[in-house]
Amino acid sequence: MCTGGEPRVLTESLEGVLVQIVSGGMTDVGRVRTNNEDSFRILDPLHLYVLSDGMGGEAHGEVASSLAVDTIVNYCSQAKEDSGVTLVAESPDNWSEKTKLLQNAVRAANLSIFESAQRNSEQRGMGATVTAAWVNGGKLSIAHVGDSRAYLLRSGSLQQLTNDHSLVAEQVRRGIISRQQAEESEMQSVLLRALGAHNEVEVDVDETAIYSGDVLLLCSDGLTRMVTEPEIAGTLQAETNPSAAAQKLIDRANENGGLDNVTTIVARFQDEPKGWLSWLRRGSAKKD
Amino acid sequence: MAKLSLMFENKLVKEVPIGNRPVSIGRSPDNDIPVDNLAVSTYHARVYYEGGRLVVEDLDSLNGTFVNDLRVERATLHDGDSIWVGKHSIKVDTSADAAIPWDTGRKAAAPKINETMVLDTKVRREMLQQAAAMGERSQFSPGRMKMPTLVVLSGKVNQKEYLLTNKLTVIGKSPMATVRLRGWFKPKMAAQINQRDDGYYLGTGDRVPAVNGTPISGTVRLNDGDLIEVCGVRLNFIIRE
Repeated sequence: MCTGGEPRVLTESLEGVLVQIVSGGMTDVGRVRTNNEDSFRILDPLHLYVLSDGMGGEAHGEVASSLAVDTIVNYCSQAKEDSGVTLVAESPDNWSEKTKLLQNAVRAANLSIFESAQRNSEQRGMGATVTAAWVNGGKLSIAHVGDSRAYLLRSGSLQQLTNDHSLVAEQVRRGIISRQQAEESEMQSVLLRALGAHNEVEVDVDETAIYSGDVLLLCSDGLTRMVTEPEIAGTLQAETNPSAAAQKLIDRANENGGLDNVTTIVARFQDEPKGWLSWLRRGSAKKD
Repeated sequence: MAKLSLMFENKLVKEVPIGNRPVSIGRSPDNDIPVDNLAVSTYHARVYYEGGRLVVEDLDSLNGTFVNDLRVERATLHDGDSIWVGKHSIKVDTSADAAIPWDTGRKAAAPKINETMVLDTKVRREMLQQAAAMGERSQFSPGRMKMPTLVVLSGKVNQKEYLLTNKLTVIGKSPMATVRLRGWFKPKMAAQINQRDDGYYLGTGDRVPAVNGTPISGTVRLNDGDLIEVCGVRLNFIIRE
């Protein structure tokens, strides 16, 4: 069972050049689980992409992940209209305004999950990961907590834009185990950070320039644990339609066992065709 | 269940069943099939199921992994195949697989390790302390801040050195690049460096950079002191503490 958005075509100024952003997202329960605790949202007019993987018994994983996505989407949409939106906390680093806003949106999401769990005792222990990406003026802002990842496929190689907040990833960073060992470890599900565990959370942010030809992928660990990076890169290169690529990645994860819920968001950045060619393409797009 | 039998000079050394997790082969004793021979790399190869097929994958070993007589990077295995690492062979026996579809076994075993949990602060502190202690034993110093830096040796760029603080560092002419190339006909995005959990990886852009004089293929993990050359610019990758 899949739900997902249609690919959309938008333009955004990148170093004065118009760039099209075409995106699509899919989510699937996988082959083993009975419920889907992942949530995602693509907000086309804002170029905002949010993905969250919930945890907690009963149906509370879903509650946590949809709270995360809703809070971030609302926070960023309001900020767009009202610049006086209250910041949960100041960001000391010299990131752009959009990056700081996104970081605060994630902090707000943490607070809404934490407070909901405080109010409703049956939700105790629920939590969520989140990875959010926001494109602005050719710059990509990333904020994340947990082990859902963001990748950029560029010049044929997959660049990882997030570091997992998992025990095994921390062990790799400290040089205790190899990346290979981490991928095979039984401790992969142990997270060091998640939304909803405390009233405050440390949110990792990063920003990077977007170039024409880049492909952005946000995904839950249901993809990265089932499908190797070369396979992911190959699929993104072979399938240029973002919705179809998002679906193919999910199919791969399911073919390899589908042990967890899988969610993928794919956004492709390409030059806006110029002159009569673009007119021709627009004409053909209308017929669709 | 399929099994792998490690053989040396026609004698059976060890038998390992292939379950849901990959079976690792290498010189290090923590491998599922440890092979104590200098011709074998620490983590040499692994065997696992993928989409119902049994696959062997070489882990960039020095002396290579062979299936029957053929050197392979990755290959599908069949019943009766022999994997060769150094002078040891590993016999593949999948004859028992036909009776039990492997897929069902995998599903049944999965959920118990798959339930995500978040460590609370106390357990987390203990586990990280333990990890730090292990780190010291592995000659790693987690206490010191590591500052990966690109020092410019020659070429036209906008700074003398660059601290790599972002996940992705771009070398190119684009105004959004970190290392900004100057001059005519320089590409917008010549090369890129990705910070991953286990280090920094140099990848191609519109040009193929060279590391220590050798053009890279795909992405290459950078080591302290490496010399990077791209578009007439020479950069020294160093890790300052």
